[in-house]
Amino acid sequence: MKSIADRNLMREYLLGKLDNQTEIEDKVSDGIVNNQEMIDIVDSVEDEIIEEYLEGSLNSGDRDAVEKYFLEPPQRKEKLRSAQLLRYYFETKPSHHTATNRENFVRPPTPWVFHLTRYGAFAVLVLVVISTLVYVGGVRTSHARLENQLAQEREHSANLVKEAELLQPSIVALTLVADRSRSAEAPIPQVDIKSSTQRIIVEIALHGVASGSYDVRLETKRGEGPLWSAKLLPIISSNDDARLVFDFPSRGIESGVYSLVVSSPTVSVSRYDFQAKVLH
Amino acid sequence: MVPRGASRTLTAEAFGRFLRWLSENDERAVLEYQSIRTKLVRYFIHKGCSDPDDLFDKTVDVVVGKIDTLREHSSPLAYCFGVAKNVWRQDLRQRKPASLEENCIAVPTCPDPQIHEQELKCLERCMDKLSPGDRDVVVRYHQGQGHDKIESRKRLADGLGGVNALRIRTCRIRRDLRVCVAACLDQWAN
Repeated sequence: MKSIADRNLMREYLLGKLDNQTEIEDKVSDGIVNNQEMIDIVDSVEDEIIEEYLEGSLNSGDRDAVEKYFLEPPQRKEKLRSAQLLRYYFETKPSHHTATNRENFVRPPTPWVFHLTRYGAFAVLVLVVISTLVYVGGVRTSHARLENQLAQEREHSANLVKEAELLQPSIVALTLVADRSRSAEAPIPQVDIKSSTQRIIVEIALHGVASGSYDVRLETKRGEGPLWSAKLLPIISSNDDARLVFDFPSRGIESGVYSLVVSSPTVSVSRYDFQAKVLH
Repeated sequence: MVPRGASRTLTAEAFGRFLRWLSENDERAVLEYQSIRTKLVRYFIHKGCSDPDDLFDKTVDVVVGKIDTLREHSSPLAYCFGVAKNVWRQDLRQRKPASLEENCIAVPTCPDPQIHEQELKCLERCMDKLSPGDRDVVVRYHQGQGHDKIESRKRLADGLGGVNALRIRTCRIRRDLRVCVAACLDQWAN
């Protein structure tokens, strides 16, 4: 049997061609989920498939699998768009990164007499340049070494920044204790939403317990919405403290004040305000 | 099992029980939840599922339904993954033949010309933020056309220790660029 790190096997797996081969499909899935080092290999095979799809170099079977299976998840569609953008950028967008590829203009021909008159001056210039180079050579060597060290340091610190971004949690917690009627004087709780944040876990301490479930809906402070809603049962401790614990997606939340409106047939409506702050 | 497309049924109580099952310590439970979520959502993406987040929620629903019998289970990830495989198999059986939104796949200017222009500006900015080494790799990787491109990539791969090393390096750089462009677009939108 092939190793799960085999790129061809991984490619078949990602195109769904192993879905009917339970044993090997299981083995590859286990290998990916339990081995973090496989992530880079899987991601690079995904990139390769996307690149070949954009180039139009896939065979018809693979192209079909890409369109009907591989590109189903929104995350992969996003990856495809990003690859298209990069491709478009390098193919069409003139910039200082790509400028060297575009300077293929043709110089006008120069008369030979003009060259001849310049040879003498050129010879003198060469002598001057050579003697200067001998002096500058030593300086440049040490300068180049320093520049190299500086570039390595920059690369290192850039990598550290990237790693720090990746380590940011995708979930943030928000605890709400006092509803709007009880918190007129107190500052409203704030939740910071970073680019990595995907969901907000909320815990609401309830005042008085209703029998049965609660309706919870997310609105803007002005009552626009609901942006999200759910029917939830409270968690009740042995000493009758009740709370609601749930999570909702942070997608679409902008900086501003929002309210979680909690209601039940037997308890009056409570509004829990919080301030969302989008940080990017 | 929860049918495909059904709304989320996980209650706050069930979610709380799930967290308690992961760990008695709140902080550790949230970290463990986050780790399991990341791995299983990625699994569902690898399996070509159209709504990986929804399938993760369904997986948690099933696990919570059996939680009373799971107290002694040594690895929550292993158990959840076992359930996730079944959830995926069921999803696969119920999938309808998919069709792409062709306009949104083929054309890079799909969302809006203004957004596309901003995407390009962000990409330019993000290219500037790359380390000199990474920038050099990505520029040389995309240089040229046809045979020239193949030769350029061969030379690049030789310098980096082989084709696989080049693939992984470019994959990481693309990932960094995606994160950077997304953050830049968010900033622009707000």
